Amino acid sequence: MLSRRTLLGSAALAGASAVSGRVQAAAIPDAPVMDKAVMQPPLHPSAGPDYQPVVTLNGWSLPFRMNGDWKEFHLVAEPVTREFAPGMSAHLWGYNGQSPGPTIEAVEGDKIRIFVTNKLPEYTTVHWHGVILPCGMDGVGGLTQPHIQPGKTFVYEFEMKHAGTFMYHPHADEMVQMAMGMMGMIVVHPRAPVPPVDRDFVFVMATYRIEPGSYLPKVTEMTDFNMWTWNSRVFPGIDTLPVRLGDKVRIRIGNLTMTNHPIHLHGHKFKVTGTDGGWIPEVAQFPETTTDVPVGTVRVLDFIADNPGDWALHCHKSHHTMNAMGHDMRNLIGVSRKELARAVGKLSPDGMVMGNTGMAMGTMEMPAPDNTLPMMTGNGQFGPIEMGGMFTVVKVREGLARDDYRDPGPYQFPAGSVAYEVASAPEPPQRTGSAATQTRTQR
Amino acid sequence: MQGIIRLAALAAATALAGCASFSPDGGMGVVADITTRTTAKEVASVRSDDDAERVRAATRRLLARPLSADAAVQVALFNNKGLQADYHQLALSDADRVGASLPPNPTLSLMRISGDGALEAERQVAGDILALATLPLRSGIARERFHQAQLRAALATLRLAADVRRAQVRAVAANELVVLLVEAQSAAEATARLATRLGETGALNRLDQAREQVFYAETTAELAGARRMASSARERLIRLMGLWGDDLGFRLPERLPALPRRPLTQPFVETDAVGHRIDLQIARLELSALATSLQLTEATRFVTLLDLAGIDRKTIEPDGRVIRERGFDVQFQIPIFDGGEVRVRQEAETYNIAFNRLTERAVTVRSEARDAYRSYRAAYDIAGHYGREVLPLRQIISEEMQLRYSSMQVDIFALLLETRQRLASRRAAIDAKRDYFLAEAELSTAVNGGGGTTGEDTARQTASALAPSND
Repeated sequence: MLSRRTLLGSAALAGASAVSGRVQAAAIPDAPVMDKAVMQPPLHPSAGPDYQPVVTLNGWSLPFRMNGDWKEFHLVAEPVTREFAPGMSAHLWGYNGQSPGPTIEAVEGDKIRIFVTNKLPEYTTVHWHGVILPCGMDGVGGLTQPHIQPGKTFVYEFEMKHAGTFMYHPHADEMVQMAMGMMGMIVVHPRAPVPPVDRDFVFVMATYRIEPGSYLPKVTEMTDFNMWTWNSRVFPGIDTLPVRLGDKVRIRIGNLTMTNHPIHLHGHKFKVTGTDGGWIPEVAQFPETTTDVPVGTVRVLDFIADNPGDWALHCHKSHHTMNAMGHDMRNLIGVSRKELARAVGKLSPDGMVMGNTGMAMGTMEMPAPDNTLPMMTGNGQFGPIEMGGMFTVVKVREGLARDDYRDPGPYQFPAGSVAYEVASAPEPPQRTGSAATQTRTQR
Repeated sequence: MQGIIRLAALAAATALAGCASFSPDGGMGVVADITTRTTAKEVASVRSDDDAERVRAATRRLLARPLSADAAVQVALFNNKGLQADYHQLALSDADRVGASLPPNPTLSLMRISGDGALEAERQVAGDILALATLPLRSGIARERFHQAQLRAALATLRLAADVRRAQVRAVAANELVVLLVEAQSAAEATARLATRLGETGALNRLDQAREQVFYAETTAELAGARRMASSARERLIRLMGLWGDDLGFRLPERLPALPRRPLTQPFVETDAVGHRIDLQIARLELSALATSLQLTEATRFVTLLDLAGIDRKTIEPDGRVIRERGFDVQFQIPIFDGGEVRVRQEAETYNIAFNRLTERAVTVRSEARDAYRSYRAAYDIAGHYGREVLPLRQIISEEMQLRYSSMQVDIFALLLETRQRLASRRAAIDAKRDYFLAEAELSTAVNGGGGTTGEDTARQTASALAPSND
């Protein structure tokens, strides 16, 4: 599961000298590295107070070690290659082999020591977004600390005073570093020994502008993003959320994009129980099926998975459930495929004529530039799902094992429970006026 | 006087011995030689029905297949009537040569005078002894004149070959452009229709519709222009090949041939040109003819006309007595007033003019050769650059745009825009290739002769410099 590696010599030594005043070089813990983008099983604590660990969507939790009464972690900021979905990889910056970085889990009251080694080509810092801590540990470069220069290792030490869901990201050349994928989640479990939920998922939302056929995000992009990611994955590359029927489920969502995301869950009512400010009193929680996750915040959704089936979970901004597509496109509705095919065939006599498939996406796998995902894709048991970006499926099933997060496959619908075609539909009522004919779609 | 008579006797003896005859090939041997060496083509002076039949059959064979530049040149060499006229001109100068190499015909005069019973009869055989004496020199000049005529015929052949080659290249390139524009027009038409349709569905405003349709309109106009150019280019080729009637249906290749794998390297292009240029050879012969002519003038500077007549006179007196007298009569003109100096000066200056013209020509030829080679290399590199760099890159752009269109990254009209740019590159590539083949023809004429009108005029000037005193 985890591929561990010892720190590379020079960086480690340089880092060691930077912190030698307080910590011996030998005392710096290993920095584990993840080489896969699939969801890893929850990491149960091996020391310290017990807790019900979270599961990071297409990610992992950072192992720690106890050093006295300190929990020690080691983050390495470094360039990584992240697969957004099979067929597309991005050259990003991240932590410990992946972007986003691993989830840091702790327990209310824990004393945390986090080593941060910078293997980026420029300086960085880490800001612990939402965590209440001493000012000198807040990680704002220039304001609360010197920047961590390339090759250096800094250490942050603070106590996790509050349970909740937080984030971490750089606060140095922030626009570039976040646009390059530098971010991760922090989950601080309450001290109460009883696990509050059965399944606890966490992910952070990020957006990128990656031109078709290229690998590096455009870090100067402010609005026109084309990759809408959950934990730097897009559908169909996002893992499903398998839950056992009747489980109490929690989904923690951080938003480090530049826009809000109305997250919608099908088939269930949920309540927003927490933000990056902490837990919301029960009297303030109200049921909904969509909640907006504003920019720079966390929302924690709790619900009882009482409705078996395959339920979509997605951002409700429709272009956020698409992968890369051009935005300067004319509307071709009303133009016959034949006309289109003729025009395309003439314009690109050497290339493949796609005109005879017209605009129908669906089952067609459109050829695209290298390293470019189809704009809408994914197949369900009844056909094409035609989604991309911020979309996945919550799979509510009976009888899943406690820590079993494997995809249980498509839902077996009970006979007669699926919408069906009516054999002899009555004629639709005749409409008068020209509006009907004008708006009719010709395909 | 003794000297003149001795000279005349000697001349008569040698002239009669070296009496020239007509060339069996009308002087075409040298022409064929030069043409074959530089263009690897056959020349034919059509003199008989058999010749005509042979040439006809060869032409038909050549016209049956798409007409390459080489084939076009061959057809022109067989059929261009202007060239045939040049060949007959050559035959004419062969006759002149033979004429000039014969000794002057003697003049026979008979005189009979009678009256008062007396009869005087005089028989006189007069010969232009001076003409006879200078016969070797004059026939030498005539031989050189003939050789010059041969070179002129060869030059005309090379010029025609170069013109045909250029015309064929232009015609093929013009056709290629037409084909390209037909393709462009077809694409533009399809998208213009689509734009109209999108206007009807409401997806495209009037401004954008007009923008998409203007390419179609422009391409249509360009296509009409290109068709006109192509038909003119074809007609020029037809004229040069001397074709008419049923022969006009020949096909041209669809595109210009590929560039040679590597360009010609000609480190000695100047030397080659100075050695090979036919116009230079002609000018050299002019000079040498002038030199001979000058010798002739020098030899006769004091005696411009010398008539020697043998006289055999028989007089019958009225009394029946017959008196027979024999003797000779020599008449000559003595240049007392100018001492022959005027003619000598004229000749000398004419020679100097020709000498300087020749030198000037040689300097020009060297420069032309260098220039032609550099142009050739540049044209090769440019055309190669289009073939190796620009077009493959355009191909990549085209494929990538197709992929972007397929994956809905770009609009269909972005494909149109890309198509326009690709067409511009392909046009430029056709032009570059055409320019290469034109430059190749130019290089060949710069080294061998038969170049453009400028070179031709200069050659004529050189030739005409000697005309006043000798013709």
